Amino acid sequence: MTAQSINSEKKNQGGRIISRINTAIVLIFLTIVTIAVLYPLVYLVSAAFSPGNAVSSLNLIPFGDGFTLKHYQRLFTQTNYLLWFKNTLIIACGTSISTIAVCAIAAYVFSRFRFPFKKGLMLSLLVLQIFPSFVGMVAIYVILLRIGGLDTLWGMILIYTSGNIPYNTWLVKSYMDSIPRSLDEAARIDGASNARAYFQIILPLAKPIIVFLAITSFTGPWMEYIFSKMILRSNSNQTLALGLFSFVTDKKNEFTTFCAGALLVAIPFVFFFIISQNILVTSLSAGALKE
Amino acid sequence: MSYFSVEPDGSSKNKILISSILFMGLGHLLFLKQYVKGIFFGVIEIVFLIFSPQIYLKLVDLVTLGTPHPELPIKERDHSMFMMIDGVVIIAVIFVFILLYVFSIKSAQSDYKEFCILGKLPRAGSLLSELGNKAFPVTGLVPMILLVLFFVIVPLVFSALVAFTNYSAPKNIPPNNTVDWVGLDNFRALFGGDATWTSALGRVAAWTLIWATLATVTCYAGGMLMAVILQESKIKIKPFFRSIFILPYAVPSVVSMLIWRNLLNGSFGTVNRTLIAFGLIDKTTVIPWLSDPTLAKVMAVLINLWAGFPYFMLLTMGTMTSISREQYEAADMDGASKYKAFRHITLPQVLYQTTPLIIMSFTHNINNFGAIFFLTAGDPVMADSTITSARGTDIMVTWIYKLTITLMKYNYASVLAVCIFVILAPFAIWNFRRTQSFKEGTL
Repeated sequence: MTAQSINSEKKNQGGRIISRINTAIVLIFLTIVTIAVLYPLVYLVSAAFSPGNAVSSLNLIPFGDGFTLKHYQRLFTQTNYLLWFKNTLIIACGTSISTIAVCAIAAYVFSRFRFPFKKGLMLSLLVLQIFPSFVGMVAIYVILLRIGGLDTLWGMILIYTSGNIPYNTWLVKSYMDSIPRSLDEAARIDGASNARAYFQIILPLAKPIIVFLAITSFTGPWMEYIFSKMILRSNSNQTLALGLFSFVTDKKNEFTTFCAGALLVAIPFVFFFIISQNILVTSLSAGALKE
Repeated sequence: MSYFSVEPDGSSKNKILISSILFMGLGHLLFLKQYVKGIFFGVIEIVFLIFSPQIYLKLVDLVTLGTPHPELPIKERDHSMFMMIDGVVIIAVIFVFILLYVFSIKSAQSDYKEFCILGKLPRAGSLLSELGNKAFPVTGLVPMILLVLFFVIVPLVFSALVAFTNYSAPKNIPPNNTVDWVGLDNFRALFGGDATWTSALGRVAAWTLIWATLATVTCYAGGMLMAVILQESKIKIKPFFRSIFILPYAVPSVVSMLIWRNLLNGSFGTVNRTLIAFGLIDKTTVIPWLSDPTLAKVMAVLINLWAGFPYFMLLTMGTMTSISREQYEAADMDGASKYKAFRHITLPQVLYQTTPLIIMSFTHNINNFGAIFFLTAGDPVMADSTITSARGTDIMVTWIYKLTITLMKYNYASVLAVCIFVILAPFAIWNFRRTQSFKEGTL
């Protein structure tokens, strides 16, 4: 054996040890992050099924106090949980559908047509999306009062949809820019109207971004608190956020009941995010790539 | 040949232009014989003219904001805020009317042009097919423009205007009292005129900027770190870790913030009780996670990192997969280490592609109401908190919320909103100028 090959043998061994140490360090690091990520979530789950009421009485060991369904029993029998759920579901579906209807068609027009004031409109949408909607909440309140939209679910849908428009129109427009123009131009040459080109050519091709828009605008209203609090007053129009937050006010500390209700909302979300994470990865980066 | 017939040689251009300017739809009716369109436009102008006295009165109200009538019962007194909102809405309506007017003139001109080319009057199709084809851009934009105009722009203009009034408790709250224009008084008070308010504004503004910077940088760096580790390491259970790490993104952030708030509670929170149980701290010296001004700020950034890194992790992963393998292979052949490959290939490309999203995330964090409000509610209390309602971890938007809801100092809240606009608008415009479509001039 030459000196050289002994040397490289040693090097290889050293490399293997180093890579093992590296893997170990990475694993330890990932485990620590995992614990940090799961820490509050474990308590969320254990509180939802633990017998006590307040955080102060919560056992330090998750599930240390035993297992009970009494909070769910309370939610379904003594509170209007199902009604809150129904109201929130209506608002979320309404917002999702109307956001898609309004944004997608506007995005198509922005992507395919030239018209006066186009640049100004696009820029103002971009500037408008930096404001959280509640900056104008006093005015929104009065406008809803004038059109009879206070304390109604459609009033909420109207506000959420309007708030969604500026950002999402841009998002969908960027996506539609990447669909070749030749496709809808060919349809137009064949005599299809603009509306037909939109519904039969562009909309099916833009499905990924439409799905993404449907999901994000559907999930938004589930835990929105500020506008719900301001606009929905009567008991029959309460939403999940309002109902659940009423358990953790300063006066009342029913932390475990809150956790029970919140868990029921979070589970479908989590389930959904985990199965769709690959779509999320591509959609999120698509926004960046297409800019 | 009567005066009302038109020639297909372009000679009737002026007739149509002048008649369209004289009255909306007149050109369509008299010359182009497009009765449906003409009547549609004409009716709009007639309605506008009928209501013009009311429109004028509303505009006068916007200028005066009503006169005080202490002798009248409260219900009959002038309500300044209704007047102001009505005034802004009316201005929006006038704006729409002017747009329609311009549009009707352009439409008459383009229809005439078509007539000159085809040699016959354009057959007016049914209204529905017209809306689906030639007028499609209009049909598509109208719902968006109306919603944005009345539910986004009008409220924002209103709150910008309030910054120039004295709309605040206790003296100027309608309907008991009227509100008046006060010019720049509020700006003067907040920028040096009133020591308490000025120092509160300075404190909150500085923390807002620090917060937004730290929140963006930590989440971005944290997300990228996790993405690189997951992507580069040879661990077999990668999907398992990725599924765990996206949990904070999946759980509604309001829920997770409220959970953290309870876990970090100084006296009965789980974190402190765990530390006591391990004997690390004493019952009397619990750690004031959210009640010490400095520690609460650190915690706000850390908890936000917990909630925000998955978004950037997913984003970076998506961007990294778009970098071609060949570049890494070339680097490997040249003997570059993994670190070097990351430093010179991955990092620059990911950074370049995600810059707009970093900017967006920064503006989002300036306005990140939920991350502060549901975690600390702005606490702890500071020396000036009773007067200004601004507490230790309040950022601009949570302060706006408190000024509106608890103190009812709408005027000061509006000044803050204007400040946010002045700070953030340049970022938005910069992002806009950077977009592909702007650069290629296809707008």
